[in-house]
Amino acid sequence: MTIAFVTQASVVLALVVVTALAFDFTNGFHDTANAMATTIATKALRPKTAVALSGLLNLVGAFLSVQVALTVTNAVVKIQNSNGTPKAALAADGGNALLLIILAGLVGGIIWNLATWLLGLPSSSSHALFGGLIGATIAGLGWAGVNWNGDGSKLDGVVGKVLLPAVLSPVIAGVVALVGTWIIHRITAGLAARYTDQGFKWGQIGSASLVSLAHGTNDAQKTMGVITLALIASGDWTDTKNIPFWVKVACALAIALGTYLGGWRIIRTLGKGLVDIRPAQGMAAQSGAAAVILASSHLGFALSTTHVATGSVLGSGLGQPGAQVRWRVAGRMITAWLITLPAAAVVGAVMWAIGHLIGGLAGAGVVFAVLVAFAVAVWRRSRRTPVSHENVNDDWDGPADPTPEPEPAPRVPAAAAVS
Amino acid sequence: MHNLGFALDGAWRVLVAGLALGAGLPILFALGIRSLAWADAGGAAPRPAGRALGYGLFAVVVLGVLLGITFIVATGFGKALSFDHIYPTIVPKH
Repeated sequence: MTIAFVTQASVVLALVVVTALAFDFTNGFHDTANAMATTIATKALRPKTAVALSGLLNLVGAFLSVQVALTVTNAVVKIQNSNGTPKAALAADGGNALLLIILAGLVGGIIWNLATWLLGLPSSSSHALFGGLIGATIAGLGWAGVNWNGDGSKLDGVVGKVLLPAVLSPVIAGVVALVGTWIIHRITAGLAARYTDQGFKWGQIGSASLVSLAHGTNDAQKTMGVITLALIASGDWTDTKNIPFWVKVACALAIALGTYLGGWRIIRTLGKGLVDIRPAQGMAAQSGAAAVILASSHLGFALSTTHVATGSVLGSGLGQPGAQVRWRVAGRMITAWLITLPAAAVVGAVMWAIGHLIGGLAGAGVVFAVLVAFAVAVWRRSRRTPVSHENVNDDWDGPADPTPEPEPAPRVPAAAAVS
Repeated sequence: MHNLGFALDGAWRVLVAGLALGAGLPILFALGIRSLAWADAGGAAPRPAGRALGYGLFAVVVLGVLLGITFIVATGFGKALSFDHIYPTIVPKH
């Protein structure tokens, strides 16, 4: 009896770990675009080189996460104590209650990530993860299990850590990129392309690399924290100050491999769909994104890399005189942002209900099987309209006429026109 | 709505830092490129001052990027960058 119980808990734990690594992997390919879409679109780097560089920097970044916070879920749900250990009620019975919430939440996050990838929409992986966890927690513990608004002492809860930053961060990044793009345009207007394009390509590669590195340190940590929480719940790990080394290695490899695989559909939307980007804009967008990401993590202002990267690409389109922003694409994207959290929450809640009704190992197994079936279906569907490193830079509006786009006419500044 | 207050407080700081580093450094970079172009534009008499100024500006940008990398690495080790002494120092996270 005891032996059967132990094995059953271990299998559920194994499912949670595998699912968490799968989430980390989707996190990687979903977010390649944030760092590299503009670099690929301006041909500063060849597509394969760009994803390889980004993957490598994500790997390095993930290994730099020496101090990993185990309290990653505390921002949105109440399944952990403030020291990172799971709530006692959930950790009883081999941690099964907690493991099911985590599993259902992760599955909710992955399913939403896959769906938005299929549509080529850059939605936030952190929102998908938090949404899934919130849904599974509501289903498992009720509304009170969610940390909606924090305790009033600092920016916290779903509102403070997720919703408000999601509204503010793309605007901030957009303003920074807009200002940068516009002033750079004024400074370098009229210079020969051999100075500008070559120089800005290097600037782009540098700033995109910073974003990749920051992404590796930030995002891989979340999965490391979640896996360690599951290990503590099941009694396989007790140290709340450190995480097992194999967890770090596995998470670093999963996010790096995902990044290297490259979410080409999303790279295409962000690099070609939103704005047709030039090297100077790419550098301004990427530097703006890097600065906003680093400044906010310095100031403890949680945000999503995706929202920042998208906001800065939009800003660089608005700041470049003559550039065209495709607002239809932007609208689709913003809609996806709005529904990411609730949609992932619904999936997470349904998954929890399925797992709970069936119960035990069989329940967790069915949830996992649903995930695998959905992933296979999405992959098969994606084969109908494949996007790869070969066609990622094709013209957005279909095969247009082969003549190159005319240079935007230099805008005469109002003051100069008067004088 | 205490969260809104905290968020707006954080947001304007991020905006200021973002403008200084995220727009400021690329602008310096663009000025560097402009200087190099100006250095060559002398035709038969290249202007070494433009070249020096250009590379000087690039050096400032590189320092800014190094600061960014230092920050990422320090965060990973559970440290933070402090600007209390104007120049950045690495301190343990509160």
